Order: sequence, then structure tokens, then C-alpha cells
Amino acid sequence: MSEPSRTHASLLPSVAAVLAGAVYMVFFLAGESQMVVFGLLVGAVLALAAFKHWRVLDAVGQSARDHQGPFSIVVVAAVAAVCLYFYDDAFVLFLLGTVLVYVLTCLGLNIQFGFVGVMNFAGASFFGVGCYTAAVLTKHTALPHLLIIVLGGLLAALLGFVILIPVLKTRGHYAALVTIAFALLFKTFLEVNDTLGGPQGLKAAGLNLFGWDVGRDIAIGDFEGSFYLGYIAVILLLAILGFIMARRMEDSWIGLNMDAVRLDETVSACFGQSIPRWKITAFTIGNFYCGVAGAFYAMMLGYIAPTNFTFGDSLILLSIVILGGLGSLWGTVVATGIVIIIPEKFQVLQEYRFLLFSALVIAILLFRPQGLLPRPLRGYRTLKSLPGKS
Amino acid sequence: MKLNKRIGLTLGLLLIILAGPAWAKEKVQVAFIGPLTGGVSAIGVGGRNSADLAVRLRNADPKAKYEYELVVLDDECKPNTGVQVATKAAADKKIIAAAAHYCSVVALAGVDVYHKFGLPIVVWGAVHPDITYGNDYKEIHRVNGTMINQNEVAAKFVKELGYKTWVNLYDTTDYGKGMNEYFSKYLTANGGKILGSFGVTADQQDFTAELTQAKKLDPDVIWFGGLTPLGVRIRLQMEKLGLTSQFQSCSGIISDAYVTGTGELAEGTIAFREGEPVEHLPGGKWFMEEYNKAGYSEAPDAFGPFAFVAMNLILDTIEEVGPKRKAVVKRMENIKDYKSIVGAVTFDEHGQNISPAITKYVVQDGQWVPWQDSEYAAGKRQLKRR
Amino acid sequence: MDIGLIAQQTVNGLMLGLIYSLVAVGFTLFFGVLDVIKFSHGDMLTWGVFTAFSVYLGLTLIGLAAPVLILVIVALVAMAAIGFLGAAIAKVLIIPLKGAPPLNTLLITLMLGTVLRESIRLFYPDGANPKHFPALLPDWSHSWGHFTLRFDNALMLLTGLLMIVLVQLVIKRTKLGMAIRAVSQDEETARVMGINFNLVVYVTFAIGSALAAFAGVIYVLYYNELSFNMGLLLGAIGFSAAAVGGFGNIYGAIVGGFLFAMLQSIGAAALPFASAYKDVFAFGVVIVLIAVKPTGILGEKETERV
Repeated sequence: MSEPSRTHASLLPSVAAVLAGAVYMVFFLAGESQMVVFGLLVGAVLALAAFKHWRVLDAVGQSARDHQGPFSIVVVAAVAAVCLYFYDDAFVLFLLGTVLVYVLTCLGLNIQFGFVGVMNFAGASFFGVGCYTAAVLTKHTALPHLLIIVLGGLLAALLGFVILIPVLKTRGHYAALVTIAFALLFKTFLEVNDTLGGPQGLKAAGLNLFGWDVGRDIAIGDFEGSFYLGYIAVILLLAILGFIMARRMEDSWIGLNMDAVRLDETVSACFGQSIPRWKITAFTIGNFYCGVAGAFYAMMLGYIAPTNFTFGDSLILLSIVILGGLGSLWGTVVATGIVIIIPEKFQVLQEYRFLLFSALVIAILLFRPQGLLPRPLRGYRTLKSLPGKS
Repeated sequence: MKLNKRIGLTLGLLLIILAGPAWAKEKVQVAFIGPLTGGVSAIGVGGRNSADLAVRLRNADPKAKYEYELVVLDDECKPNTGVQVATKAAADKKIIAAAAHYCSVVALAGVDVYHKFGLPIVVWGAVHPDITYGNDYKEIHRVNGTMINQNEVAAKFVKELGYKTWVNLYDTTDYGKGMNEYFSKYLTANGGKILGSFGVTADQQDFTAELTQAKKLDPDVIWFGGLTPLGVRIRLQMEKLGLTSQFQSCSGIISDAYVTGTGELAEGTIAFREGEPVEHLPGGKWFMEEYNKAGYSEAPDAFGPFAFVAMNLILDTIEEVGPKRKAVVKRMENIKDYKSIVGAVTFDEHGQNISPAITKYVVQDGQWVPWQDSEYAAGKRQLKRR
Repeated sequence: MDIGLIAQQTVNGLMLGLIYSLVAVGFTLFFGVLDVIKFSHGDMLTWGVFTAFSVYLGLTLIGLAAPVLILVIVALVAMAAIGFLGAAIAKVLIIPLKGAPPLNTLLITLMLGTVLRESIRLFYPDGANPKHFPALLPDWSHSWGHFTLRFDNALMLLTGLLMIVLVQLVIKRTKLGMAIRAVSQDEETARVMGINFNLVVYVTFAIGSALAAFAGVIYVLYYNELSFNMGLLLGAIGFSAAAVGGFGNIYGAIVGGFLFAMLQSIGAAALPFASAYKDVFAFGVVIVLIAVKPTGILGEKETERV
């Protein structure tokens, strides 16, 4: 599968693609009328099909893979630019912030499911643990909020240990059952139990970083931006950290071992891999991601209630991971954008939007069963740089 | 055929929104927020239609100063989506005011957002007291009553009917739990005895286990706090198990669906709702006629009249003080004896309508009939006695 | 607790268990032939119920009055329609995805479930509201103290058990059943032996889906109520029951179904604390059970062929 005689691709195609994507996002997010939204959606599908036909997409993918570092920086810059473009449009910023929160969460699920193959149907529950941690701790303690975000992650990871034994012992669909049961149980428990606000939920305080109240509008000189810019800055940073960590893990021997465990437990056990070790590692790290994202989300949202953490919400998270492509980190990012933003843009369809959204997902899965951006085979980039290799 | 009609309707709406009329009145946007998808969507869609009717009637009125556009947003009955759409409406400066929320959790989650951005809203269905009383926000108003008013009247009334013992069932949502809390409080205060109470989940289908326990406790009344789907199931399953207690519930089950869902068993069910009986006021009949004329394919449902009133109040205020949020907020501070199809509306300092009378309802021959008009009150029919 | 009460709770639990079991058998059949979880199964049940309801309305419209005859027609039409729908779904959505990761099937059927559910809500006349299904069986009953035995319950229980036995016989004794079992054990070998793989899959999905419709008919006769989202939780519970019992094993599905019903009844009736915790209790026990028996109570020991 290697491409030994291939020369390094140029950075240009991927940068162009990101720029095009950013411009598209600006139009899509700013588009208000039905006509514009649908026109843009149909246009995107047609354009992608055409680009695929002319092999433009392959060139973009190759270029992105050969220049991971610069490519990532360009993407971050593009996201930041889109956010700044909408500097005073609180709603669009809120939506983008939500996307980033879900990116972080789904990266965690991808580590569990895409890397090691542990299915987690309770992603929203662990996300919820983070939310509740933030709501309770901001109210009753004076801990710095940054620490609370980390604590949210830690508590989620800790709660994961409760179902660790059944998760380790079971496989396939039985493992799915464990987390499904946990998700159903978790939501009912939150509703029945009154100490955590019961069904009515809890108020969460806004984020405050070292005396900077992030919930206040930003005014620097003549520039006046929505307070959500502050939230976006924080969550963008968190998402970048999460992304880098996941990528490092994937590229290291840890990722290699995890792949082995996912692909064939028996064989990797024969080669001396400890299966539980990698499953526990991935499960815990993934839940930590969910918890961190949840804690931040509670602060941004200001209010949380059990109906946000249902089995259905977990399924949405999981569908993001599958839609993006298992183990594909960039895929997760793209799929999150689609799954979060499109239903919102479908608001114009009022009660028909879920029907259309589900049909859309079915269509994507039928035509792209491997996800939107399937994870590429391991590149062993380091080898390429060896003399005589390329 | 139905589908075609709907598509036609939607397209028609789209055309109106997109093209706009040729004559030049200033365009003003107002929003409706409610649950259009999920389990309680029937009420949300009914409310949407009613709010839409208010806007349509106003636009058809040549005396109106502005041309109104209705922006409809779905909160899914979920707080996170609620905050999202609340932000969408509130951050959009073109939107002057909104009739918002049936689900209490969503309203509770949204009030901070409305306050932050200064968008005046009128709640049309959510009943949790804290929505208006839990804050000092001038932007938040409510035309329907809280669950406190309703249960106070309900407890007193049923005790006066001579019942002594109750078994309570309630769903573990904010609505059911809140209802249970206040009903139990006022019932005990009035000397009623609660033999047992059972919490059930909002999507539960089988209640035979709880009802079998209830049967053993042998109460005069089975009380249910929750919404129509569960109310239907509980009433039907009571019959299956041979429970002969009187069935009493709350505003959540006052809907046509409860009666069609339970068939003959609906007869004699009692429940309570804020507001004067719509059927009694001249405006109520007019509302139903206009609603039917407009040709919506769904019924206005229980809270449609309130959504209509909320939207009308918004439109009247805008007509009076102009399409400016601050002016609307200021004007709504002293709404007094505003005539509406659910009776006079008067806001207290929290924006809560303080005049909602509570109407007692009983099902008679497949209709929710105000108690005082029913044959039960006249003594021609009897509620279940033990 | 007195005897009457226990008897009543037992009958309640049995009825509930029967419905769960019928749903779980479908899950287990699909899993057997294709190793897939079809999450739209609960919503297939809903469609079965709504088909039955429509047929009932149609029959009363043309003036048919014999309730038992109506019931038989209603049940048969619903089962045939949903069986056909099940086979169609297998052809269009499930077999084409055979090569893709198994989770895709799960996700696609989940989304299909949403489509089915939302379609009823939006396009069935007044679909968002619960509807009343009339009692088509005679309502004779007899009471002993707190215990009321209804004739229709007993009849439904009996018919349901007969249906399970029938399915079991088909699987164990007929040529078709042998083909299904062969495909479940080893698809490749089954193909080599001249078994038409696709056909077996279609038939299995038809049987499983028809069973869901049958469960749906029992459900509406028992509860007299139907609504667009009734299948959601039933699907999740049916799946849990099938897994707890052990996938691919029909007896396992039945055991799982009744076990789950028992847990819920105990949770509601006998737990010392609030009954609202009964789902927490039931799912908690399921997690513990799966930890102890990772392939279900009656599941085969998993041995890895290397």
C-alpha cells in the first residue's frame, strides 16, 4: 500500500481547500433564508462530487498528510478567522463554541472507539458528569475555574471505573449493552435524585479565568466583540490541546499497540500486549475528554438539566465519530460541524427537521460507509525522510 | 393529500416571508419558541399555529402600523437547544420580542439569556414558579399561571367534594415532580391523606406494577401529575386492574388527545387549568372560528389560546410603543387588565400574570367541560365514590 | 404482602415479559444470521401497531362488526405488512452494508428508527397524539381479593407463548430453520452448501419483523393505547433482554425478556425506596449480570478461532 515513488505533495492544495472551506462556512453561517441554506448545501454536495471526480480531493488529502503541522496551523487560523468575522454575532459564535465542545468530546470517544475499539454508548453521561461537576463546584466552592474544568474530566474518568469491569469482560454488542444500560440508568438517576437539582437541573456559573469574567462583552479600544469570543478562545485552546494529544498518541507506540488490540485481541495478546491495559487507558482518557468538554460546556451554557444527557444524546456523539470515520481525527472535526450546524440551519423546517436530518445521515452512510474522511493507513512518515526512501 | 396540503401551507408561508407584500409597511420580526419535535410536540405545534394566527390576523388588519414576520424556533424541550435558540432570537436585534417556551426547564435555562440580551419574552405555557419569581428580570413575563395557583385550587376543591385519601403518581420531569410537590403540600394542608406516591419515568409504558400497589392501598382518588400520554396509559391501565377510584389530574392532560386516547374511560376525569374557560369568553369562540378558518391541520391544543394571547400582547405592545425592545419591556412593566381570550391579564412586579382564574374541568360525553356547567355539578351525574 | 397482590404482580410481569420476549427474539434472530443489531426494531413494532390500527379503522368503516374476526384480520395484515417491510429494509439498508464496520448498521438502523417514528408523528393523521385502541376481546374477568384475572390477558399470554413455540419449531424442525441456523454458524460454508444467503436473510428479517408486529398487536390489546414513540424504549429493553439472555439464542431472548420484566416489577413493587428508581435498579442489575456472564445467561462460551 505504500507509495514509494511519490514525491512530496505541495502544501498549496490543502491550504486552498481550507480557505475555500472557511469562506463557505462564512456564507453558510450567515445565510438566513431557506433558499440560501439549501442552495449552499446542494452546491457543496455537487462541488464535492465534482472535485472527487477530478481527483482534486486526493490531491488535497495528500497535501494535508504531507504537511500535517502547517496544515493544522492553517486550519486553526481559518477557524479563528471565521470566529472573528462573526465577532459581534453572539448566536453564530455560540454555535461555533458548541461545535468545538463537541469536537473535544468526540475526540475522546474516537480514542476509545476508533483507536482501541471500546464502544461507548454513554458519552453524553460522562459529558454530563463534567457538566454537573462544574455546576456544583462553581456554586459551592471558590476553586479556580480552570481547575474545575480539569476536575470535571477527572471525575468523569473516575466514574468510568464503575463500569470498567463489565466493559473489559465483554465484547462487541455485549459491550454496547453495558454502556447503553449505563446511559439509561444515569439519566433516570439524575431525574429521580433531588440533591443534584433533579429534573429541573442546575444553574452553572460563567467561566472566570484569573479574574477575567469571560461572560462579559469584549471591548478593546474601538473593537467591541461578543463575550462568546472569550469562550471560543478557551475551548479552541482546549480542543487544540486535545487534538495534539490524540494525534501524538496515535503516532506513538501507544497508538500502534492500541491498533493491534482493536484489530485482533487474540494476536496482540499472543505478542505480549496487555489487552485490559490499553482498554483501560483509552476508556479513561476518552472519558476525561468528555468530562473536560462537559465542564466547559456547563459554564458556557449557564444551565444544565438531565434531558441533555440522554441515551439519544450519546448516540448523536457516536454518530459524529462514525460519520467522520473511525479513528480519523480530522473526520471527527468535519463531522461535528455537520451534525451540529445542519440541524440548526434546518430550524426553518420547523417540525420536519429531524426527519430530514436522519435521512441525510442514512444517505451519507450508504454512500460513504467508511465515513467522510476515513482514517488513512499509517504513513510511517519518519521512514520517508530516511535517505534512499523517497 | 394531507401532505400536499402541508407542503402548500409551508410553501405559502415561505412565500409570504420571502417575498413580502408589495405595500410598504415597516417590517417587524417577532419570534415563537416552543417544542416542535419530540414527545410534547403536539402542544408546541398547536402553540405555533396559534401564535401564527395572531400574526396573520394582525397583518390582515389594515389598521396595523407594521408588517409582522414570525420567526419560529424549535427548542426540542431540551435546555441546551433552548439556550441555543434563545441566543439565536435574543442576539438577533431584528427580533423585537418572543412568545416562548412550554417546557419549564427550557424556560429556566433561557431566562438568563433573554435578560443578558434584553429581549422581552412572554411565556405561553411553562408553569414553573421560578421562571418569573426566581429572578428580577424585567424582560420575562408570563400569561399563564404557575403550578402553585393551580394546585392550591385543586386541593381545596377535591377535598370539598368529600374525598379523603389519595395515591399520587407523577412523572419524574420538572413538571410532574413540581406538580406533586405543590399538590401534596396543599392537599395535606387541607386535611387530605396521601397513602402513597409513585414516581414514574416520562417514557414509561407499563404502570401495572405501581397501580397494583395503589389498588392495595385502596384510595378514594388516584391523582396523576404529568402529561397526556402517560395520563392516557394510567387511566386505561387502572381499568385493566379493576381500580375503581376517581381519577384526578392536572393541566398537563387537558387536551383532546386525552379524551380520544382513553375513549369512554375519560368520562368523569377531573383536572384543573389556569385561565378562565376559553369556551366561556366571547373571544374564545371567535378564536376557535378563526383558527378553523385558517386551515391548520393540527388542533391548537391545550395551550394554543395562551400562545395566541402571548403573541397578541406582544403585537399590541409593539403597535403602541413602536418596535424597540427597551420600549416594549418598559410598557410591559405595567400591563393591567389587558383584555384577552383567556381573561384579563395583569402583570405583577415579576411579570407574572396575577389574575389567572383557575378553571376546574371534568370530562363529560367526550368533552372537557368547565365544572360549573357540567351535569356533575348539577348533581345529574356522579363522580366515582367509594 | 398478600397472595392476591403477588399473583397480580406476577400476571403483570408475565404480560410485560411476553412483550419484551417477542421483541428480544427479533433482535436475536437478526444477530444470529448477520451479526447485526437492528435498532429500528422497536419502531417496526410501532409501525405494526399503526398498521393494525388503520386496518381496524378500515374494517369498521366497511361495517365489519365481529370483533374476533376483525382482530384476526388486523393481526395477520399487520404481521404480513411489517414482515415485508423488514425484508425490504434488509435488502436496501442492511445487506449492502455487510462489508462496512458493524457499528454502521447500528447507526443506520437507529436513524431509520427516527425516520419511521417521525414519519408517523408528522404524516399519520393527528400522529403526535396518543390514540385509543378498542378492546377486541371479551372483557370477562374474575376477582379474588386484590387479584383480578382477565380472560383476555390469559388468552394473550397463551397465544404469545404459542407463537414463541411456533418460531422455535420453525427454527429447529424445518428446512428453512436449518438454513437459518447454518447461516448463523458460518456464512461461507452455508453458501458453499448451496444455501441462498440473501434469501435466508430476507426471510429471517421478515419473521423477526412480523414478530415485532405481533408483539405490537398484543401490546395494544393489553394497553389499549398507541403512540408514535412507544417503540423507542421497547426497542432498548428488547435489545437489553436479548443481550442479557445471550445473542443468537432464542431461549436466551425469552429468559432475558421475562427477567427484565421481573426486575422492573420488583423494582416498582418491592424496593424499600422510591419506585422511581426501578429503571436504575433494572439496568444496574443488567450491568452486573453482564459483568458476571459476559456473553449472556444462555450465551455460548466465546471461543476464538485463530
